[in-house]
Amino acid sequence: MNRRYLVRRLLQVLPAVASILIVTFAIVHAAPGDPVVAVAGESGNQEYYAFMRAKFGLDRPLPQQFVTYSANVLTGDLGTSFAQGERVSTLIAERVPATLLLMGSALALSTVGGIVLGALAARRPFGPFDLAVSTAALVGYALPVFWMAQLAMLTIAFRTGWFPVQGMTDARANWTGLHHLLDVGRHLALPALVLAASEVALITRMARTGILAEMDRGYVTVAQAKGLSATGALVHHALRNALLPVVTVVGTRIGFLFSGAVLVETVFGWPGLGRLVLSAAQTRDHPVLLGMVLLVAFSLVLANLVTDLIYARVDPRIRYR
Amino acid sequence: MNKRLTVAALALTLLTAACGGDDKAKTPAPSVQATTPTTAAPVRGGTLVVAISSDPGSLNPAVTSNGGVHTASEMMFNGLVGWGADGKLAPELADSWVIEGGGTTYTFKLHPGVKWHDGQDFTSDDVKFTFEKALLKLHSRTAASVGSAGVTITTPDPRTVVFTFPQPYAPLLQQLNVTEAPIISKHQFESCTDLATVASCPANKAPIGTGPFKLDSYSITEIKMSRNANYFKPGLPYLDGLVERVIPDTGTQVLALENKEVDWLGSVPGPDLARVKANPALATAAAPRGSGGGNCITTVIFNMKPPAGRPAFFADLRTRQAVWAATNRQQAFQQIEFNQGKVADAPIHSGISFAHASGLALPTFDVAKAKTLLDQAGWKDEGKATRIARGVQGVPDGTEFAIDYHGFVGAQTTYGEVLRTQLKDVGIAVTVKTEDNPTFSAAVFTRREFDTGVASYCNGDDPEIGVRRQYDTKQISTTAFSNGAGYSNPEVDTLLDQAAREPDPAKRTPIYRKLQEIAVRDLPYMWMTESAGVRAFTANCTGFNHENTGLFAEAASCKR
Amino acid sequence: MSTLASATADAAAGAGPVAAPHRWRAALHRFVRHPAGMVGLALTTLVVVAGALAGRVTASDPFRTAGDPLLAPSRAHWMGTDNLGRDMLTSVMHGAKTSMVVVLGVTLLASVIGLAVGVVAGYRGGWVDDLLMRITELFQAVPRFFLVLLIVALFGAGLDNLIYVLAFTSWPTLARVARAEVLSVRDRDYVEAARSIGASDRRIVLRHVLPNVLPTALVVIALTGSRIILLEASLSFLGLGDPTVMSWGYLVSNAQRFLRVAWWMSVFPGLAIALAVLGINLMSDALNDVLAAYSKAPRSARWRRRRSRPASLPAQLPVR
Repeated sequence: MNRRYLVRRLLQVLPAVASILIVTFAIVHAAPGDPVVAVAGESGNQEYYAFMRAKFGLDRPLPQQFVTYSANVLTGDLGTSFAQGERVSTLIAERVPATLLLMGSALALSTVGGIVLGALAARRPFGPFDLAVSTAALVGYALPVFWMAQLAMLTIAFRTGWFPVQGMTDARANWTGLHHLLDVGRHLALPALVLAASEVALITRMARTGILAEMDRGYVTVAQAKGLSATGALVHHALRNALLPVVTVVGTRIGFLFSGAVLVETVFGWPGLGRLVLSAAQTRDHPVLLGMVLLVAFSLVLANLVTDLIYARVDPRIRYR
Repeated sequence: MNKRLTVAALALTLLTAACGGDDKAKTPAPSVQATTPTTAAPVRGGTLVVAISSDPGSLNPAVTSNGGVHTASEMMFNGLVGWGADGKLAPELADSWVIEGGGTTYTFKLHPGVKWHDGQDFTSDDVKFTFEKALLKLHSRTAASVGSAGVTITTPDPRTVVFTFPQPYAPLLQQLNVTEAPIISKHQFESCTDLATVASCPANKAPIGTGPFKLDSYSITEIKMSRNANYFKPGLPYLDGLVERVIPDTGTQVLALENKEVDWLGSVPGPDLARVKANPALATAAAPRGSGGGNCITTVIFNMKPPAGRPAFFADLRTRQAVWAATNRQQAFQQIEFNQGKVADAPIHSGISFAHASGLALPTFDVAKAKTLLDQAGWKDEGKATRIARGVQGVPDGTEFAIDYHGFVGAQTTYGEVLRTQLKDVGIAVTVKTEDNPTFSAAVFTRREFDTGVASYCNGDDPEIGVRRQYDTKQISTTAFSNGAGYSNPEVDTLLDQAAREPDPAKRTPIYRKLQEIAVRDLPYMWMTESAGVRAFTANCTGFNHENTGLFAEAASCKR
Repeated sequence: MSTLASATADAAAGAGPVAAPHRWRAALHRFVRHPAGMVGLALTTLVVVAGALAGRVTASDPFRTAGDPLLAPSRAHWMGTDNLGRDMLTSVMHGAKTSMVVVLGVTLLASVIGLAVGVVAGYRGGWVDDLLMRITELFQAVPRFFLVLLIVALFGAGLDNLIYVLAFTSWPTLARVARAEVLSVRDRDYVEAARSIGASDRRIVLRHVLPNVLPTALVVIALTGSRIILLEASLSFLGLGDPTVMSWGYLVSNAQRFLRVAWWMSVFPGLAIALAVLGINLMSDALNDVLAAYSKAPRSARWRRRRSRPASLPAQLPVR
C-alpha cells in the first residue's frame, strides 16, 4: 500500500473522533435539567456535583467546556460512577476482556460459518439447500438476540445440562493452562453460539452474493473451461475475491457485536459489560452509559481503520476511495 | 430484679463458656447437630461455592449495614457474641461477660490468643476502635440503637472491654454478633481518613479479620477465601475454601444450584421453592436472619416531611389512610413473595415475640373507603386519570396526585409495579424509580426528595435494634435506613426511651404495644410483608449454622 | 462506509426513471402475486390487528391481575399468566399496540427528516449538500444502540420521548439513499426539460424527483420499521422502555427470572417480536423485487441483483 493512502486514511480518523465528541457533548447539554446530572449521575450529592462541575468546567462558556470535555474524554477520564463508587474507566476496563472474548468468538464463528454456508448455497443457486439457508437466514435475522439467548437456555441448557448457566469459569476449580481454556470454552459455548447465530445470516448472504458475482466473471469461466471443477474454481479463484467484502464489514460489525454481546450477557450471566450496562440503564447511571457510547464509538473508528489498512494491503487495487 | 438478671447472665455465661471450651475440641460442632444431624464425622477440605447477588464494592461490614457488603464479607470476621445453632446467645470473641448496674455496665472478657489474619494479636483496643470509629457512626442499626443510648467504651486491659451506658440498656447482647457489630482491626484501618468509602480507605476492599476464612482475591465476578488455619475455634473451619460467585439474577442462582455450579443460596425465590424442595440432591432450611439483620418487614415509607418546594403528599393522615385502604397487601404478598412469609399485621415483626402486638386494627383493603378518604382530604376526582388537589394540606391547589416510588432493583421494584396498578384505581399515579443503594439513600434519606420509598426494615432481635430508628424523632437523619417517614411524635419518643431502659422483657411488652397502637393510628409507614427466606444448599454439605447467618459456614463440611 | 456506499449504489440502480400511477398499480399487482410478500403482509396484518384489538377484546389495562400467577397456557389464559397474574395474551396484544405506535411514529418522523435532508442535499448540491451530508455523517459516527440508551436514560423513557429519540437516530440511512436517488435523476432529460420550461424547484422536486425516490425510499423505510421494533424491544429489555405501557421487550426481560418455571412468559412475547420483524422484512423484500422490476438497468444486472441478498438483509447492518 502506498504511503499517501496510509496518511490520508489516518487523517480520516480525525473527523470521526470529532463527530463522536460533538454528538455526545451536544446530548449532554441538550438533556433536560442541569448538565452536571448527565456527567455525574442522579445521586444528588452536591459535593460530587461541585467537583464534576469544576472538572468539566460546566460554569464556563460552551466552547471552553467543549475543550475541557474533549480533554477529559480523550484521556479516558469520565469521573466516578456514584452508584458503583468506582471510576468509570476502571469499571469498564475490568469488564472489557470478558466481552471482547465473547465478541471475538462470535465474530470468528459467524464469519467462518457464514462463509461456509454461503459457499455451499452458492454452489446451486435456488437449489433446496440455498432456499433452506435463505429461509433460515431470514428467520434468524428476525429473532431478537436476547430472546434467542433465552430460547437456547430453555431448549439446550436446561435439557442437556451440558452447559453452565452462568459465569465464565467453574468457581470450584483453580485450573490453569489447557484445563482453564477448556473450562472457559464450556462456559463460552452457548453465549458465543447465540451471538454468532444472530450474525451468521448476514455473512451467509454476503458470501453467497459475492461468490455468485465472482463466478460470473470471465476468469472463473476460463478456469472452468480449462477443466477445473466448479468447486475447484470456487475455492481457488472466486472465494478469495468474493470474501473481501465480508472482511471489510468486520469493522462495522463491531458495533452490532457490542450491543448483541451486552444483551446476550445479561441472559447468560456472562461477566462482561452487559451486567454493567443493565444496571446502569436501570438505575440511570449516566456516566457509565456515556462511557459505553464513547468506548463503542472509538472501537468502531479503530476497527474501521484497521480493516481498511489490511484491505489495502491485501488488495493493491485500493488506493483512496 | 437487677441482681436476678446478673445471675441469669452469669449462669448463661458459664454454661456457654463450658460449651465453647473443652467440648468443642472433642465434638467439634455441638451447635451444628441441632439443625442438621450428621452421622459421620465432618470431612476436612473442599470448597463451598456461595451465590451472591451483586459485586459488593467493599468488604468492610463495620462501616455499613448494606446487606450486600455483609453477605460477602462476614465470613472473614467475628462479633463479640454470636448465635448458637439453637438460637441462643453464644460466646464468640468474648468468652464471658458480666452485666452490672441493672444493665448500665457490661464487662466482656475476650478470648485469649485470637490472631488477625496477618498474625497480629487481637486486643480490646480493636473492639474500642471498631465501635468508636465505625459501628457507632456508620452502621445504621448499631448507630441508631447502641450509639444513641450514649455508650462509652473503656479497655482496662487488652483482654477486657467495658460498655457503660448512662441508663440501663437491655438489648446489647443481641447486637454484638457479626452482622450487627463485626470487629475490624485497628492497625489496618486507623490510618484511613474516611472509613466509609473505598476511595479514601482502600483497605475496605482487602480487609483482614479474625474469622474462619481469609480473603484470597476479590474481583467483580467472585470473591475467593481460604481457610484460616489459625482460627481461634480449634479444628474449624472444615472447608478449605469459600468462593462467593456474583449471580445477579435470582432465577439464574437457582439454576446454578440445580446445575451444581454453586452449593449455597441465601434465599430461594418462591416460584422455584417447590422444585428445589423436591430435588433430592438439594436441602433447604428456614432462614431466621439475613445479612441485613433478622426479622425484616418490607415497608413502604411515606414522606411526611419533604423539603421545601416539594408537595407534602402525605402530611395529611387521611391521605395515608387512603393509600392503605387502596392497597391490597394480601395480593401483593401472594404475587411477589409466593406465600413465603406473611402479610405484616403490626409495626413490629412477629419474630420478636415479646414486643409484637397482635390484634391491631390495621386499615383493611377497601377501595370505596379509599376514594372517600381522598375526597375528604381534598383530592378531587375531576374526571381525569389522576386526582387533583383542591385544598389539600401542604399541597398547592391543582397539583396532580402523581407520586414517585423509590426502591432497589428486584422484588422492591415489583412491589412498586403492584402498587402502581392498585393505586391507579383510586386516581393516584405512581412512577417507579429503580435505584442502587447509594442513589436510593441519597434521594430518600439525605435529600428527602421522594414521595414514597420502600425498604426492608430489619427489626433485629430487639426493637431497639431495628424499630427505634424508624420512629424516633432523633433518628430523622441522613443516615441510611433511619426514620425515612420523618415521623415525629413525642409520645412515641418517650415510649421508646422507656422501653430501652426497662430490663425486664415482660414489662417492655405493654410499652411496645402502646407504641404500636399509636403507630397504627398515625400510619407513617405501610408495613407490607414479613419476609421469610428459605436457604437452599447441596445436600451433601452439612453443618451450617442458620442462626448465626454471617458465619453460617464456620462449621460446614461437604462430602465429595 | 463501504457497505453503505454499495447499498446506495444498489438502490440507485433500482430506481425507475418515471413512476406513473399505472406503474404503481402494476407493482401492486405484482406484489399480490409475490408469495413471500403475501406471507409478510399476512404476518404484519396479524400484528397490526392484534395491536388494534388490544383493549377492545382484552382488558383495557394489561397491568391488571387477571388470575393466579404463573398459570400455564389454558383455555382461560391462552398464553398463560405472568408472575403477577397478568394475562399474557392481553400483555402481548398490548405490546403489539405499543410496537405499532412506536414504529408508525418513528418511521413517519424519520421519513420526513430523511427525505427532506436527502432530497435537498441531492437536488441543491454544493455547500448545502456538503453541510447536510456532514451532519448525516455526524449521526452515523456514533453507535446507535448505545447512543439511544444514553439519550433515553437522560431524557426519560416516556413513549413520546422514545419515538423522538428513535426517529432522531433513524433518518441518516434514508437521507443518504434518497440523496443518491436524487443525484441519479437530477440531470435527466425530463428534469432538464421541466426546468427549461420554467418549472419551479418545488414543482420539479414534487412532480419529478420525489416520485422517483419513493420506491427505494419505501424499501428503506420498511426496513427502518423492522429495525425499530428490535431496537425498542432491546431498550425495554434493558428496562429503558416506557414503564407505563406494556412492551414485548419488558415481557421477555421479566421472563428471565422465571425461565425454568414459566417458559410461556418468554416464548410468546419473543415470538411476537420475531413475527413482526419477519413480516415487515418479507414485505420489504417483496417491495424491493416488485419496484425494482421497473428498473432501466440492463437485464443481466437485474438478474444478478435478483440473485443477490434480499432487501431485508441489507448491507447496512441492523441494530439489535
